[in-house]
Amino acid sequence: MLQVENIDVRYSDLQVLWDISLEVNEGELVSLVGCNGAGKSTIVETIAGLVTPENGRIVFDGEQLNGTPAHRIVERGIVLIPEDRGIFPGMSVRENLELGAYTPASRKQSKDSFEFVYNLFPVLKERHNQTAGTLSGGEQQMVAIGRALMSKPRLLMCDEPSLGLAPIIVKSILKVIKQISDSGVSILLVEQNLKASLSISQRAYIIENGRVATDGESSCMLDDDSVVGAYLGTC
Amino acid sequence: MAIELWSQTFVNGINIGALYALTAVGLSLTFGVMKILNVGHGEFLMLGGYLAYWLLTLFKVDPFLSLPLVFIALFFLGAIAYKLFFSVLSGYPEEQKVKNSLLVGFGLFLVIPQIARLLWTGDERGITPAYSGSSFPLLDVRIAYVPLGGVILAVIVIAALHLFLKKTYFGKAVRATSENWKGAKLTGINVDRTYLITFSLGTAIAGLGGVMVGLTQSISPDVGMEWTLKALIVLVLAGIGSIGGTLAAGLTLGILESVGAIFMGPYAVVLGLVIFLLILMFRPQGLFGKA
Amino acid sequence: MNSSKRLSLIGAFLLILVAVPLFVKRNDILTWITFTLIYITLSQSWNIIGGYCGQQNLGHAAFFGIGALLTRYVWLAGVPLPAAMLLGALAACIFAIIIGFPAFRLKGVYFIIGTLVMAEILKMIFDTILPRANVLPSRMLGAYSLVPRYYLSLIIAVLTVTIVLWISRSKLGLGLLSIREDEDAAEALGVNTQKNKLVAFMISTFLAGLAGGVYAYYAVAAQPGYLFAAVWTFDAVIIVFVGGMGTIMGPIIGSVFFVLLKQLLSLYLPGGMHVLVFGILFIIVVLFFPGGLIGLIEKLRRTKEGGAAN
Repeated sequence: MLQVENIDVRYSDLQVLWDISLEVNEGELVSLVGCNGAGKSTIVETIAGLVTPENGRIVFDGEQLNGTPAHRIVERGIVLIPEDRGIFPGMSVRENLELGAYTPASRKQSKDSFEFVYNLFPVLKERHNQTAGTLSGGEQQMVAIGRALMSKPRLLMCDEPSLGLAPIIVKSILKVIKQISDSGVSILLVEQNLKASLSISQRAYIIENGRVATDGESSCMLDDDSVVGAYLGTC
Repeated sequence: MAIELWSQTFVNGINIGALYALTAVGLSLTFGVMKILNVGHGEFLMLGGYLAYWLLTLFKVDPFLSLPLVFIALFFLGAIAYKLFFSVLSGYPEEQKVKNSLLVGFGLFLVIPQIARLLWTGDERGITPAYSGSSFPLLDVRIAYVPLGGVILAVIVIAALHLFLKKTYFGKAVRATSENWKGAKLTGINVDRTYLITFSLGTAIAGLGGVMVGLTQSISPDVGMEWTLKALIVLVLAGIGSIGGTLAAGLTLGILESVGAIFMGPYAVVLGLVIFLLILMFRPQGLFGKA
Repeated sequence: MNSSKRLSLIGAFLLILVAVPLFVKRNDILTWITFTLIYITLSQSWNIIGGYCGQQNLGHAAFFGIGALLTRYVWLAGVPLPAAMLLGALAACIFAIIIGFPAFRLKGVYFIIGTLVMAEILKMIFDTILPRANVLPSRMLGAYSLVPRYYLSLIIAVLTVTIVLWISRSKLGLGLLSIREDEDAAEALGVNTQKNKLVAFMISTFLAGLAGGVYAYYAVAAQPGYLFAAVWTFDAVIIVFVGGMGTIMGPIIGSVFFVLLKQLLSLYLPGGMHVLVFGILFIIVVLFFPGGLIGLIEKLRRTKEGGAAN
């Protein structure tokens, strides 16, 4: 479904990604793990069209995506929930969700989408008129995920959904992500929390210093003490 | 002091204040959404006034009827100006973007009046339809038709803008872009196009203000900066992000100046600027804005 | 070009300038050069705070005006000109100190707008208090000669350029440049940004006041409000930008072109067209060539040298 082939990314003169290749198949939940600053966010931002890669290709459903502007990538079905959640703090929960269904295709299905999201996150329905900026961290993350779902993604990319959240909330967020994956949406999950991430995904890529260090089946990696040890050691 | 004088002063203040609000609201929109402080804003107002002048003298179009035409024309002019001069800056980091857009706007302030001078000479032009001076009495005051039209125009435009931003999908997209442009991109909003339309809306509304300035005062090539300054004062009074606050602030400034003229005479013009500086230094978020 | 060759070139040029009034009697040429020298002084003075330090102060006209106004009235009251000019420049400097503290609290955009508004306030006040033009008394009118005005503007211009040159090579200059690049970083590195900005501002406004003093001596008739007109600021700003911010030659070349263009264009087109040309150049510089003309020349020279090396 998604193939990233040998991309290099630069921020002005500084190269941050070298020869990144990865793929996400239909229906999969794939983890991108690595330490802070390894380049995971840059990878998903590049796929999302916020950053343009220097070389290589990004192919989605057979079509090349390089250089496509971010808002068009959303139309193709790839949605990114950024690290800072990217919600609109001055607007209400409902308006935030509404804007998720901005593209014409998703707007037609917005009624169903609202129902789906409110079922997934009943607390958002309760607070649908509340200003998003006044919500708790966990609730804001729900708004971010809910908004992304309103865009009817075929590939959902989550950048550090657990960041800054209490462990018990992290658990429920990851449970929701698993639920979304089960509903058929492919997911690329960027996470620092190795164990949590590997426990819900099928495959994983470990990113180190802007390169793909290893990749493989999540269950194998979890059991492989050397991988876990090396990872925990270097961060 | 006689009650009639107070009432008339109040009415005069409302009349001019409405114009201040109208001029400011376009600038507020642009600065709030795109962080571009277009110091050339008043030049678009001036061009709007000249356009209405042409429409009246060359084609006998009533100034109030020419408003939609001026709106459309200044919308396109603004779009061209944005594409040519400001869109280059949209990729820059915020502080640089703000500073450079200010300088570019300054450049427009230098260039456009000279072009106006070539097209219309340096003479002052007034837009004077047949009903220019007429008024009707209401209680103890005289209400002049033309300024009243200006007040109604300002209220309609500001209310329409408010509704547009609150209720329409695109309006919400504009608000979203001003809150988090990255997040906006990620929901499928074409941020570049949003910026273009927002900027053009700002200049179009300025054009409407120019028509009113031509009707109530006069238009000359150098009139732009004066109105840009007024808009800035209202902006700083109102704070960014509040459309309704802009109307209130504009009216407040108008009334303050009107009353000030009675006590301070010719020095009243300085009043607004002094208030501006004081607020800038002690309460930069304005009276109605968010901190 | 090595420094002794450069020095002799500058010396020769200055000598020519000094000799001009001895051979040229045409008033329009003397006026043109005098004006260019005044503009060099004015733009270089702005260059200190706006070019080197990066604080785009749009209220420069206020200091020009204070210097001009005070010099004019004090001189006409009988005080010898040098003392009058010193007083004018000092007054400008003191005013700068007074408003410098609150002004520099404003950041970025707010500073730029704030200084513009402040200058406008001054202009409006003086427009109202002293609406009528101040004309030289008849005894002076009869004896009016451009030659001393010419030499005065030359002396002040040379003084100003020397001061800017000295600043650019000094520790102060380094501090100013660091503030321009990144004020917070400079502060973190130990640069006393408040002190540096204030010192630069004081020098800048003192020199602007001197420029005003020269103008006060030069003008036959001067409307006080006009001395504070924003156009003095804007002319200086666009000259520095187009010429090259934070360079020595930039404002000099900019001033020469500016005044030249003004004189030439005013012959064929309605007044103000030189502003049109410079305004367009200004926009182009802001968007594409932040180094101005000097920056462009530097770039061309470097690519030529690079090409020659290959």
